[in-house]
Amino acid sequence: MSIMARLPGCMIATLALASLLPAPAAAQGSGPLPRTADGKPDLSGIWQAVTTANWNIQAHSAEKDVPAGLGVVEGDEIPYQPWAAAKKGENFANRATADPEAKCFLPGVPRATYLPFPFQIFQTPNHIAITYEYVHAVRRIFMNSSHPRGPLEFWMGDSRGRWEGDTLVVDVVYFTNQTWFDRAGNFHSDALHVVERYTPITPYHINYEATIEDPKVFTRPWKISLPLYRRIEKNIRVLDYECYAFGLERTWYRPPE
Amino acid sequence: MRSRCPMLLPVLVLASLIAVVDARQEPAKPYAPPRTADGQPDIQGIYNPVGTFYNIEDLEYQSLYQNFKPNPSLSGKSLIIDPPDGKIPYQAWAAEKRKPIYQLHGDPTPEYVDPNAQCWPQGVPRHMNNREFEIFQPPGHVVIFNMAHHSYRVIPVDGSPHIPENVKLWLGDSRGRWEGNTLVVDVTNNNDQTWFDVMASFHSDAMRVTERMTPVGPDRIEYRAVITDPKVYTRPWTFAIYFNRSKDYGSELYEEACVEVNDRNMELLKRPGRN
Repeated sequence: MSIMARLPGCMIATLALASLLPAPAAAQGSGPLPRTADGKPDLSGIWQAVTTANWNIQAHSAEKDVPAGLGVVEGDEIPYQPWAAAKKGENFANRATADPEAKCFLPGVPRATYLPFPFQIFQTPNHIAITYEYVHAVRRIFMNSSHPRGPLEFWMGDSRGRWEGDTLVVDVVYFTNQTWFDRAGNFHSDALHVVERYTPITPYHINYEATIEDPKVFTRPWKISLPLYRRIEKNIRVLDYECYAFGLERTWYRPPE
Repeated sequence: MRSRCPMLLPVLVLASLIAVVDARQEPAKPYAPPRTADGQPDIQGIYNPVGTFYNIEDLEYQSLYQNFKPNPSLSGKSLIIDPPDGKIPYQAWAAEKRKPIYQLHGDPTPEYVDPNAQCWPQGVPRHMNNREFEIFQPPGHVVIFNMAHHSYRVIPVDGSPHIPENVKLWLGDSRGRWEGNTLVVDVTNNNDQTWFDVMASFHSDAMRVTERMTPVGPDRIEYRAVITDPKVYTRPWTFAIYFNRSKDYGSELYEEACVEVNDRNMELLKRPGRN
Protein backbone atom coordinates (compact mmCIF):
# COMPACT_ATOMS: atom_id res chain seq x y z
CA MET A 1 0.00 0.00 0.00
CA SER A 2 1.41 3.41 -0.90
CA ILE A 3 1.75 6.13 1.70
CA MET A 4 -0.81 8.05 -0.26
CA ALA A 5 -3.45 5.39 0.18
CA ARG A 6 -3.15 5.65 3.95
CA LEU A 7 -3.52 9.41 4.22
CA PRO A 8 -6.61 11.61 4.19
CA GLY A 9 -7.18 13.70 1.07
CA CYS A 10 -5.99 16.97 2.59
CA MET A 11 -2.66 15.37 3.49
CA ILE A 12 -2.30 13.86 0.03
CA ALA A 13 -2.71 17.36 -1.41
CA THR A 14 -0.05 18.65 1.02
CA LEU A 15 2.35 15.87 0.10
CA ALA A 16 1.71 16.37 -3.60
CA LEU A 17 2.63 20.02 -3.19
CA ALA A 18 5.68 19.12 -1.11
CA SER A 19 6.90 16.76 -3.81
CA LEU A 20 6.99 19.68 -6.23
CA LEU A 21 9.39 21.60 -4.00
CA PRO A 22 13.12 21.22 -4.55
CA ALA A 23 14.59 18.47 -2.37
CA PRO A 24 16.52 20.72 0.07
CA ALA A 25 13.39 22.70 0.86
CA ALA A 26 11.45 19.48 1.44
CA ALA A 27 14.17 18.19 3.75
CA GLN A 28 14.09 21.37 5.79
CA GLY A 29 10.29 21.50 5.80
CA SER A 30 8.28 20.45 8.81
CA GLY A 31 5.77 18.58 6.62
CA PRO A 32 3.88 15.89 8.52
CA LEU A 33 5.51 12.47 8.80
CA PRO A 34 3.26 9.60 7.80
CA ARG A 35 1.97 7.94 10.96
CA THR A 36 0.35 4.65 11.83
CA ALA A 37 -2.99 4.34 13.64
CA ASP A 38 -1.17 4.25 16.99
CA GLY A 39 0.50 7.59 16.26
CA LYS A 40 4.02 6.29 15.64
CA PRO A 41 5.98 7.40 12.59
CA ASP A 42 5.19 5.01 9.75
CA LEU A 43 8.52 3.71 8.48
CA SER A 44 6.98 1.14 6.17
CA GLY A 45 8.20 1.18 2.61
CA ILE A 46 11.33 0.52 0.59
CA TRP A 47 14.56 2.28 1.60
CA GLN A 48 18.19 2.37 0.54
CA ALA A 49 21.41 3.99 1.69
CA VAL A 50 23.45 5.98 -0.82
CA THR A 51 26.98 5.80 0.53
CA THR A 52 30.36 4.21 -0.08
CA ALA A 53 30.34 2.67 3.42
CA ASN A 54 30.20 -0.89 2.10
CA TRP A 55 33.67 -0.37 0.60
CA ASN A 56 34.99 1.36 3.68
CA ILE A 57 33.08 2.88 6.59
CA GLN A 58 35.98 5.33 7.05
CA ALA A 59 37.12 8.10 4.72
CA HIS A 60 38.99 6.70 1.71
CA SER A 61 40.40 7.70 -1.66
CA ALA A 62 39.13 6.31 -4.92
CA GLU A 63 40.62 3.12 -6.37
CA LYS A 64 39.66 1.15 -9.44
CA ASP A 65 35.99 0.17 -8.99
CA VAL A 66 35.90 1.88 -5.58
CA PRO A 67 34.41 5.38 -5.35
CA ALA A 68 36.02 7.73 -2.86
CA GLY A 69 34.06 8.50 0.28
CA LEU A 70 34.16 10.62 3.42
CA GLY A 71 33.09 7.78 5.70
CA VAL A 72 30.15 7.27 8.06
CA VAL A 73 32.08 6.90 11.35
CA GLU A 74 31.71 9.82 13.72
CA GLY A 75 35.15 11.42 14.07
CA ASP A 76 36.38 8.93 11.44
CA GLU A 77 38.19 6.93 14.13
CA ILE A 78 37.51 3.31 15.06
CA PRO A 79 38.92 2.68 18.55
CA TYR A 80 40.52 -0.75 18.03
CA GLN A 81 42.45 -2.43 20.80
CA PRO A 82 46.09 -2.86 19.66
CA TRP A 83 45.76 -6.56 18.71
CA ALA A 84 42.54 -5.76 16.84
CA ALA A 85 44.17 -2.93 14.88
CA ALA A 86 46.76 -5.44 13.69
CA LYS A 87 44.01 -7.91 12.80
CA LYS A 88 42.17 -5.23 10.85
CA GLY A 89 45.34 -4.59 8.85
CA GLU A 90 45.58 -8.30 8.08
CA ASN A 91 41.93 -8.38 7.04
CA PHE A 92 42.53 -5.41 4.74
CA ALA A 93 45.45 -7.18 3.07
CA ASN A 94 43.34 -10.31 2.50
CA ARG A 95 40.09 -8.53 1.82
CA ALA A 96 39.48 -9.85 -1.72
CA THR A 97 38.83 -13.37 -0.41
CA ALA A 98 38.48 -12.95 3.37
CA ASP A 99 35.51 -10.58 3.31
CA PRO A 100 32.42 -12.64 4.19
CA GLU A 101 30.61 -10.69 1.45
CA ALA A 102 32.87 -12.47 -1.07
CA LYS A 103 31.25 -15.74 0.11
CA CYS A 104 27.76 -14.26 -0.10
CA PHE A 105 27.18 -14.80 3.61
CA LEU A 106 24.53 -12.95 5.58
CA PRO A 107 25.91 -9.43 6.08
CA GLY A 108 25.11 -8.82 9.74
CA VAL A 109 24.10 -5.49 11.29
CA PRO A 110 24.67 -2.63 10.56
CA ARG A 111 26.23 -3.66 7.22
CA ALA A 112 22.90 -4.89 5.83
CA THR A 113 21.65 -1.31 6.07
CA TYR A 114 24.29 0.26 3.83
CA LEU A 115 24.87 -2.47 1.27
CA PRO A 116 23.99 -1.06 -2.16
CA PHE A 117 20.64 -2.91 -2.22
CA PRO A 118 17.14 -1.85 -1.16
CA PHE A 119 15.27 -3.21 1.82
CA GLN A 120 11.67 -3.03 2.92
CA ILE A 121 10.29 -2.17 6.34
CA PHE A 122 6.95 -3.65 7.46
CA GLN A 123 5.50 -2.14 10.59
CA THR A 124 2.83 -3.17 13.07
CA PRO A 125 2.62 -2.04 16.71
CA ASN A 126 4.23 -5.18 18.16
CA HIS A 127 6.45 -6.34 15.36
CA ILE A 128 8.57 -4.71 12.67
CA ALA A 129 10.15 -6.80 9.93
CA ILE A 130 12.92 -5.77 7.56
CA THR A 131 13.38 -7.77 4.36
CA TYR A 132 16.64 -7.12 2.53
CA GLU A 133 17.24 -7.79 -1.15
CA TYR A 134 20.84 -8.95 -0.56
CA VAL A 135 20.84 -12.77 -0.06
CA HIS A 136 17.25 -12.45 1.23
CA ALA A 137 18.50 -11.42 4.65
CA VAL A 138 15.64 -10.80 7.03
CA ARG A 139 15.28 -9.29 10.48
CA ARG A 140 12.39 -9.54 12.87
CA ILE A 141 12.24 -6.70 15.38
CA PHE A 142 9.92 -7.57 18.24
CA MET A 143 8.82 -4.48 20.15
CA ASN A 144 9.03 -3.96 23.90
CA SER A 145 10.28 -7.47 24.58
CA SER A 146 13.50 -8.84 26.03
CA HIS A 147 16.29 -10.68 24.27
CA PRO A 148 15.95 -14.42 24.89
CA ARG A 149 18.36 -16.03 27.32
CA GLY A 150 21.71 -16.73 25.65
CA PRO A 151 24.19 -17.78 24.66
CA LEU A 152 22.87 -17.56 21.10
CA GLU A 153 24.45 -16.73 17.76
CA PHE A 154 22.62 -15.33 14.79
CA TRP A 155 24.19 -13.86 11.64
CA MET A 156 21.73 -10.98 11.79
CA GLY A 157 21.60 -10.85 15.60
CA ASP A 158 18.55 -10.75 17.86
CA SER A 159 16.70 -7.44 17.52
CA ARG A 160 14.38 -5.86 20.11
CA GLY A 161 12.76 -2.50 19.42
CA ARG A 162 11.16 0.40 21.25
CA TRP A 163 10.01 3.89 20.38
CA GLU A 164 11.73 6.90 21.95
CA GLY A 165 9.55 9.75 20.72
CA ASP A 166 9.68 9.53 16.93
CA THR A 167 12.84 7.39 16.95
CA LEU A 168 12.76 3.62 16.54
CA VAL A 169 15.52 2.28 18.78
CA VAL A 170 16.63 -1.30 18.10
CA ASP A 171 18.92 -3.19 20.45
CA VAL A 172 20.78 -6.00 18.66
CA VAL A 173 22.90 -8.72 20.32
CA TYR A 174 23.88 -12.40 19.84
CA PHE A 175 25.99 -11.95 16.72
CA THR A 176 28.53 -14.33 15.23
CA ASN A 177 32.18 -13.24 14.94
CA GLN A 178 31.98 -13.98 11.20
CA THR A 179 30.74 -10.72 9.67
CA TRP A 180 32.60 -7.55 8.78
CA PHE A 181 31.48 -3.93 8.69
CA ASP A 182 32.84 -3.33 5.18
CA ARG A 183 35.16 -4.53 2.44
CA ALA A 184 38.10 -2.84 4.17
CA GLY A 185 38.33 -5.47 6.90
CA ASN A 186 36.70 -3.62 9.78
CA PHE A 187 35.46 -6.38 12.08
CA HIS A 188 33.98 -7.29 15.46
CA SER A 189 33.62 -10.28 17.77
CA ASP A 190 30.62 -12.25 18.97
CA ALA A 191 30.39 -9.74 21.83
CA LEU A 192 29.13 -7.10 19.38
CA HIS A 193 26.25 -5.01 20.66
CA VAL A 194 24.58 -2.62 18.23
CA VAL A 195 22.02 0.02 19.15
CA GLU A 196 20.33 1.38 16.04
CA ARG A 197 18.30 4.57 15.91
CA TYR A 198 15.92 5.15 12.98
CA THR A 199 14.67 8.76 13.06
CA PRO A 200 12.46 9.86 10.17
CA ILE A 201 13.27 13.47 9.28
CA THR A 202 10.88 13.85 6.32
CA PRO A 203 8.42 11.40 4.73
CA TYR A 204 11.27 10.41 2.41
CA HIS A 205 14.36 10.37 4.66
CA ILE A 206 15.39 8.47 7.78
CA ASN A 207 18.42 9.45 9.79
CA TYR A 208 20.11 6.14 10.69
CA GLU A 209 22.57 5.89 13.55
CA ALA A 210 24.22 2.83 15.02
CA THR A 211 26.27 2.72 18.20
CA ILE A 212 28.81 -0.10 18.09
CA GLU A 213 30.06 -1.67 21.28
CA ASP A 214 32.36 -4.68 21.56
CA PRO A 215 34.60 -4.90 24.63
CA LYS A 216 36.63 -7.73 23.05
CA VAL A 217 37.68 -5.58 20.06
CA PHE A 218 37.24 -1.87 20.80
CA THR A 219 38.36 0.38 23.65
CA ARG A 220 35.08 2.33 23.70
CA PRO A 221 31.73 2.49 21.91
CA TRP A 222 31.69 4.34 18.58
CA LYS A 223 29.03 5.50 16.22
CA ILE A 224 28.13 5.57 12.54
CA SER A 225 25.41 7.70 10.96
CA LEU A 226 24.00 7.98 7.45
CA PRO A 227 20.70 8.89 5.81
CA LEU A 228 18.32 6.34 4.32
CA TYR A 229 16.36 7.38 1.26
CA ARG A 230 12.87 6.22 0.39
CA ARG A 231 12.78 4.53 -3.03
CA ILE A 232 9.89 6.31 -4.68
CA GLU A 233 10.01 4.81 -8.18
CA LYS A 234 6.66 3.64 -9.47
CA ASN A 235 6.20 -0.09 -8.73
CA ILE A 236 9.53 -0.26 -6.87
CA ARG A 237 9.98 -3.69 -5.38
CA VAL A 238 12.65 -5.57 -3.48
CA LEU A 239 13.85 -8.24 -5.93
CA ASP A 240 16.42 -10.96 -5.21
CA TYR A 241 20.22 -11.24 -5.18
CA GLU A 242 21.13 -14.86 -4.40
CA CYS A 243 24.79 -14.37 -5.13
CA TYR A 244 25.96 -17.79 -3.84
CA ALA A 245 24.02 -19.40 -6.71
CA PHE A 246 25.52 -17.34 -9.53
CA GLY A 247 27.43 -19.61 -11.88
CA LEU A 248 25.97 -22.80 -10.39
CA GLU A 249 22.58 -22.64 -12.07
CA ARG A 250 21.39 -25.77 -13.83
CA THR A 251 18.90 -25.42 -16.64
CA TRP A 252 16.73 -28.51 -16.75
CA TYR A 253 13.82 -27.61 -18.90
CA ARG A 254 15.24 -27.49 -22.43
CA PRO A 255 13.77 -30.37 -24.40
CA PRO A 256 16.17 -32.39 -26.57
CA GLU A 257 16.87 -30.85 -29.99
CA MET B 1 -18.82 4.70 19.16
CA ARG B 2 -21.47 7.25 18.21
CA SER B 3 -22.88 6.54 14.79
CA ARG B 4 -22.95 9.28 12.20
CA CYS B 5 -25.65 7.33 10.39
CA PRO B 6 -28.90 7.04 12.42
CA MET B 7 -30.39 4.34 10.16
CA LEU B 8 -27.36 2.10 10.46
CA LEU B 9 -28.24 0.45 13.79
CA PRO B 10 -31.70 -0.84 12.80
CA VAL B 11 -30.32 -2.10 9.51
CA LEU B 12 -27.53 -3.92 11.34
CA VAL B 13 -30.02 -5.52 13.74
CA LEU B 14 -32.15 -6.65 10.82
CA ALA B 15 -29.09 -7.97 9.00
CA SER B 16 -28.02 -9.97 12.02
CA LEU B 17 -31.51 -11.52 12.30
CA ILE B 18 -31.31 -12.55 8.67
CA ALA B 19 -27.87 -13.98 9.36
CA VAL B 20 -29.31 -16.07 12.22
CA VAL B 21 -32.03 -17.43 9.94
CA ASP B 22 -29.42 -18.24 7.31
CA ALA B 23 -27.25 -19.98 9.86
CA ARG B 24 -30.16 -22.24 10.79
CA GLN B 25 -30.65 -23.17 7.18
CA GLU B 26 -26.94 -23.84 6.67
CA PRO B 27 -25.51 -25.45 9.78
CA ALA B 28 -22.12 -26.06 8.17
CA LYS B 29 -21.10 -22.43 8.48
CA PRO B 30 -17.53 -21.86 7.26
CA TYR B 31 -14.90 -20.65 9.70
CA ALA B 32 -14.79 -16.85 9.86
CA PRO B 33 -11.34 -15.65 10.90
CA PRO B 34 -10.83 -12.39 12.82
CA ARG B 35 -9.73 -9.33 10.87
CA THR B 36 -6.47 -7.40 10.84
CA ALA B 37 -6.41 -3.63 11.39
CA ASP B 38 -6.61 -3.06 7.63
CA GLY B 39 -9.52 -5.50 7.25
CA GLN B 40 -7.77 -8.60 5.91
CA PRO B 41 -8.91 -11.99 7.23
CA ASP B 42 -6.30 -12.58 9.95
CA ILE B 43 -4.41 -15.83 9.35
CA GLN B 44 -1.21 -14.72 11.09
CA GLY B 45 0.88 -17.18 13.03
CA ILE B 46 3.44 -19.94 12.79
CA TYR B 47 2.40 -23.00 10.80
CA ASN B 48 3.75 -26.38 9.84
CA PRO B 49 2.93 -28.05 6.53
CA VAL B 50 1.38 -31.50 6.98
CA GLY B 51 3.07 -33.89 4.60
CA THR B 52 6.41 -34.53 3.04
CA PHE B 53 8.89 -32.66 0.96
CA TYR B 54 10.75 -35.75 -0.21
CA ASN B 55 8.47 -37.09 -2.92
CA ILE B 56 5.21 -35.24 -3.36
CA GLU B 57 3.91 -38.10 -5.55
CA ASP B 58 4.44 -40.73 -2.83
CA LEU B 59 4.41 -39.78 0.84
CA GLU B 60 6.11 -43.02 1.93
CA TYR B 61 8.75 -43.12 -0.77
CA GLN B 62 11.54 -42.09 1.60
CA SER B 63 10.95 -45.10 3.85
CA LEU B 64 11.73 -47.44 0.96
CA TYR B 65 15.43 -46.72 1.13
CA GLN B 66 15.90 -45.13 4.53
CA ASN B 67 15.28 -47.05 7.71
CA PHE B 68 11.95 -45.47 8.49
CA LYS B 69 9.10 -47.67 9.55
CA PRO B 70 6.87 -47.64 6.49
CA ASN B 71 3.29 -46.51 6.85
CA PRO B 72 1.39 -48.64 4.31
CA SER B 73 -1.59 -46.28 4.33
CA LEU B 74 0.61 -43.50 2.90
CA SER B 75 2.42 -45.60 0.33
CA GLY B 76 1.58 -44.27 -3.10
CA LYS B 77 -0.46 -41.46 -1.55
CA SER B 78 0.21 -38.21 -3.33
CA LEU B 79 -0.12 -34.53 -2.53
CA ILE B 80 -1.31 -34.04 -6.09
CA ILE B 81 -5.11 -34.08 -6.27
CA ASP B 82 -5.36 -33.37 -9.98
CA PRO B 83 -4.76 -35.27 -12.24
CA PRO B 84 -6.53 -38.11 -10.40
CA ASP B 85 -3.54 -40.50 -10.65
CA GLY B 86 -1.56 -38.18 -8.35
CA LYS B 87 1.32 -37.87 -10.81
CA ILE B 88 2.91 -34.74 -12.22
CA PRO B 89 1.84 -34.70 -15.91
CA TYR B 90 5.31 -34.39 -17.45
CA GLN B 91 5.73 -34.20 -21.19
CA ALA B 92 7.48 -37.34 -22.46
CA TRP B 93 10.94 -35.73 -22.84
CA ALA B 94 10.69 -34.30 -19.32
CA ALA B 95 9.70 -37.64 -17.77
CA GLU B 96 12.66 -39.20 -19.55
CA LYS B 97 15.05 -36.50 -18.37
CA ARG B 98 14.30 -37.00 -14.69
CA LYS B 99 14.29 -40.82 -14.75
CA PRO B 100 17.83 -41.19 -13.33
CA ILE B 101 16.73 -39.52 -10.09
CA TYR B 102 15.11 -42.80 -9.01
CA GLN B 103 18.58 -44.33 -8.91
CA LEU B 104 20.45 -41.26 -7.76
CA HIS B 105 18.35 -39.42 -5.20
CA GLY B 106 20.00 -41.04 -2.19
CA ASP B 107 23.52 -40.44 -3.53
CA PRO B 108 23.22 -37.80 -6.22
CA THR B 109 25.74 -36.63 -8.77
CA PRO B 110 25.97 -32.82 -8.84
CA GLU B 111 23.31 -32.40 -11.52
CA TYR B 112 20.84 -34.37 -9.41
CA VAL B 113 21.49 -32.62 -6.10
CA ASP B 114 18.31 -31.16 -4.71
CA PRO B 115 18.59 -27.37 -5.14
CA ASN B 116 17.11 -27.03 -1.67
CA ALA B 117 20.12 -28.90 -0.25
CA GLN B 118 22.32 -26.24 -1.84
CA CYS B 119 20.50 -23.64 0.27
CA TRP B 120 18.87 -22.06 -2.73
CA PRO B 121 15.45 -20.48 -2.20
CA GLN B 122 12.78 -23.16 -2.40
CA GLY B 123 10.54 -21.72 -5.12
CA VAL B 124 6.77 -21.84 -4.92
CA PRO B 125 4.95 -23.98 -3.79
CA ARG B 126 7.87 -25.64 -2.01
CA HIS B 127 8.31 -22.47 0.03
CA MET B 128 5.07 -23.54 1.73
CA ASN B 129 6.05 -27.19 2.11
CA ASN B 130 9.46 -26.99 3.68
CA ARG B 131 9.49 -26.65 7.46
CA GLU B 132 7.86 -24.12 9.72
CA PHE B 133 6.82 -20.78 8.34
CA GLU B 134 5.15 -17.67 9.66
CA ILE B 135 2.41 -15.61 8.09
CA PHE B 136 2.63 -11.89 8.93
CA GLN B 137 0.06 -9.37 7.75
CA PRO B 138 1.25 -5.77 7.91
CA PRO B 139 -1.05 -3.26 6.17
CA GLY B 140 -1.57 -4.05 2.48
CA HIS B 141 0.59 -7.17 2.53
CA VAL B 142 0.87 -10.80 3.46
CA VAL B 143 4.49 -11.69 4.24
CA ILE B 144 5.60 -15.31 4.62
CA PHE B 145 8.80 -16.09 6.51
CA ASN B 146 10.10 -19.64 6.16
CA MET B 147 12.42 -20.76 8.93
CA ALA B 148 14.47 -22.91 6.56
CA HIS B 149 17.01 -20.74 4.72
CA HIS B 150 15.36 -17.65 6.30
CA SER B 151 13.57 -17.20 2.97
CA TYR B 152 10.74 -14.72 2.78
CA ARG B 153 8.00 -13.91 0.31
CA VAL B 154 6.24 -10.55 0.14
CA ILE B 155 2.71 -10.74 -1.25
CA PRO B 156 1.16 -7.31 -1.88
CA VAL B 157 -2.64 -7.46 -1.63
CA ASP B 158 -3.12 -3.94 -2.93
CA GLY B 159 -3.94 -4.62 -6.57
CA SER B 160 -0.46 -3.72 -7.78
CA PRO B 161 0.67 -5.25 -11.08
CA HIS B 162 3.35 -7.91 -11.69
CA ILE B 163 6.88 -6.88 -12.60
CA PRO B 164 8.05 -7.17 -16.24
CA GLU B 165 7.95 -10.76 -17.49
CA ASN B 166 11.67 -11.05 -18.30
CA VAL B 167 12.71 -10.51 -14.66
CA LYS B 168 13.05 -13.94 -13.04
CA LEU B 169 13.07 -14.48 -9.29
CA TRP B 170 13.78 -17.52 -7.15
CA LEU B 171 10.46 -17.16 -5.32
CA GLY B 172 8.64 -15.49 -8.20
CA ASP B 173 6.60 -12.32 -8.09
CA SER B 174 3.54 -12.83 -5.89
CA ARG B 175 0.42 -10.68 -6.09
CA GLY B 176 -2.50 -11.54 -3.84
CA ARG B 177 -6.15 -10.76 -3.35
CA TRP B 178 -8.75 -11.88 -0.85
CA GLU B 179 -11.77 -13.74 -2.24
CA GLY B 180 -13.92 -13.88 0.89
CA ASN B 181 -11.66 -15.53 3.44
CA THR B 182 -9.44 -17.16 0.81
CA LEU B 183 -6.10 -15.60 -0.06
CA VAL B 184 -5.54 -16.08 -3.79
CA VAL B 185 -1.94 -15.51 -4.92
CA ASP B 186 -0.79 -15.35 -8.51
CA VAL B 187 2.92 -16.22 -8.73
CA THR B 188 4.72 -15.30 -11.95
CA ASN B 189 8.35 -14.45 -12.90
CA ASN B 190 9.60 -17.79 -11.52
CA ASN B 191 13.10 -18.86 -12.50
CA ASP B 192 13.78 -22.44 -13.69
CA GLN B 193 16.11 -23.52 -10.88
CA THR B 194 13.82 -24.98 -8.21
CA TRP B 195 12.22 -28.39 -7.69
CA PHE B 196 9.03 -29.33 -5.86
CA ASP B 197 10.77 -32.04 -3.84
CA VAL B 198 13.96 -34.13 -3.83
CA MET B 199 12.90 -36.11 -6.94
CA ALA B 200 14.02 -33.76 -9.76
CA SER B 201 10.46 -32.53 -10.08
CA PHE B 202 11.41 -29.61 -12.23
CA HIS B 203 9.71 -26.84 -14.13
CA SER B 204 10.68 -24.10 -16.56
CA ASP B 205 10.66 -20.34 -16.24
CA ALA B 206 7.27 -20.38 -17.92
CA MET B 207 5.74 -21.78 -14.72
CA ARG B 208 2.82 -19.93 -13.21
CA VAL B 209 1.38 -20.87 -9.83
CA THR B 210 -2.03 -19.89 -8.51
CA GLU B 211 -2.25 -20.48 -4.79
CA ARG B 212 -5.39 -20.53 -2.68
CA MET B 213 -5.06 -20.41 1.11
CA THR B 214 -8.30 -20.88 3.04
CA PRO B 215 -8.45 -20.92 6.84
CA VAL B 216 -10.78 -23.82 7.69
CA GLY B 217 -10.48 -23.34 11.45
CA PRO B 218 -8.49 -21.20 13.88
CA ASP B 219 -5.45 -23.51 13.62
CA ARG B 220 -5.67 -24.93 10.12
CA ILE B 221 -5.27 -23.60 6.58
CA GLU B 222 -6.16 -25.48 3.42
CA TYR B 223 -3.59 -24.85 0.68
CA ARG B 224 -4.10 -25.51 -3.03
CA ALA B 225 -1.66 -24.59 -5.77
CA VAL B 226 -2.50 -24.93 -9.44
CA ILE B 227 0.70 -25.21 -11.47
CA THR B 228 0.84 -24.52 -15.17
CA ASP B 229 3.93 -24.77 -17.35
CA PRO B 230 3.27 -25.50 -21.02
CA LYS B 231 6.99 -26.07 -21.65
CA VAL B 232 7.20 -29.06 -19.27
CA TYR B 233 3.72 -30.46 -18.47
CA THR B 234 0.89 -31.71 -20.63
CA ARG B 235 -1.76 -30.00 -18.48
CA PRO B 236 -2.14 -27.92 -15.29
CA TRP B 237 -1.88 -29.88 -12.06
CA THR B 238 -2.94 -29.21 -8.48
CA PHE B 239 -0.89 -29.62 -5.31
CA ALA B 240 -2.86 -29.72 -2.03
CA ILE B 241 -1.75 -29.69 1.58
CA TYR B 242 -2.85 -28.48 5.00
CA PHE B 243 -0.95 -26.18 7.31
CA ASN B 244 -1.41 -26.70 11.06
CA ARG B 245 -0.65 -23.98 13.56
CA SER B 246 2.61 -24.84 15.30
CA LYS B 247 3.36 -24.20 18.94
CA ASP B 248 6.83 -25.78 18.85
CA TYR B 249 8.68 -22.49 18.59
CA GLY B 250 6.56 -20.30 20.81
CA SER B 251 5.76 -17.06 19.05
CA GLU B 252 9.10 -16.45 17.31
CA LEU B 253 10.99 -18.35 14.62
CA TYR B 254 14.77 -18.52 14.77
CA GLU B 255 17.23 -17.51 12.09
CA GLU B 256 18.51 -20.54 10.22
CA ALA B 257 21.61 -19.72 8.24
CA CYS B 258 22.24 -22.15 5.38
CA VAL B 259 24.89 -21.12 2.83
CA GLU B 260 27.01 -19.94 5.74
CA VAL B 261 27.26 -23.41 7.27
CA ASN B 262 26.86 -25.59 4.19
CA ASP B 263 30.46 -25.98 2.97
CA ARG B 264 30.76 -29.41 4.52
CA ASN B 265 27.59 -30.66 2.90
CA MET B 266 28.88 -29.63 -0.48
CA GLU B 267 32.29 -31.21 0.22
CA LEU B 268 30.56 -34.53 0.79
CA LEU B 269 29.39 -34.47 -2.81
CA LYS B 270 32.92 -34.10 -4.17
CA ARG B 271 33.98 -37.73 -4.28
CA PRO B 272 36.48 -39.47 -6.53
CA GLY B 273 35.02 -40.10 -9.95
CA ARG B 274 32.52 -37.28 -9.58
CA ASN B 275 32.66 -33.88 -11.16
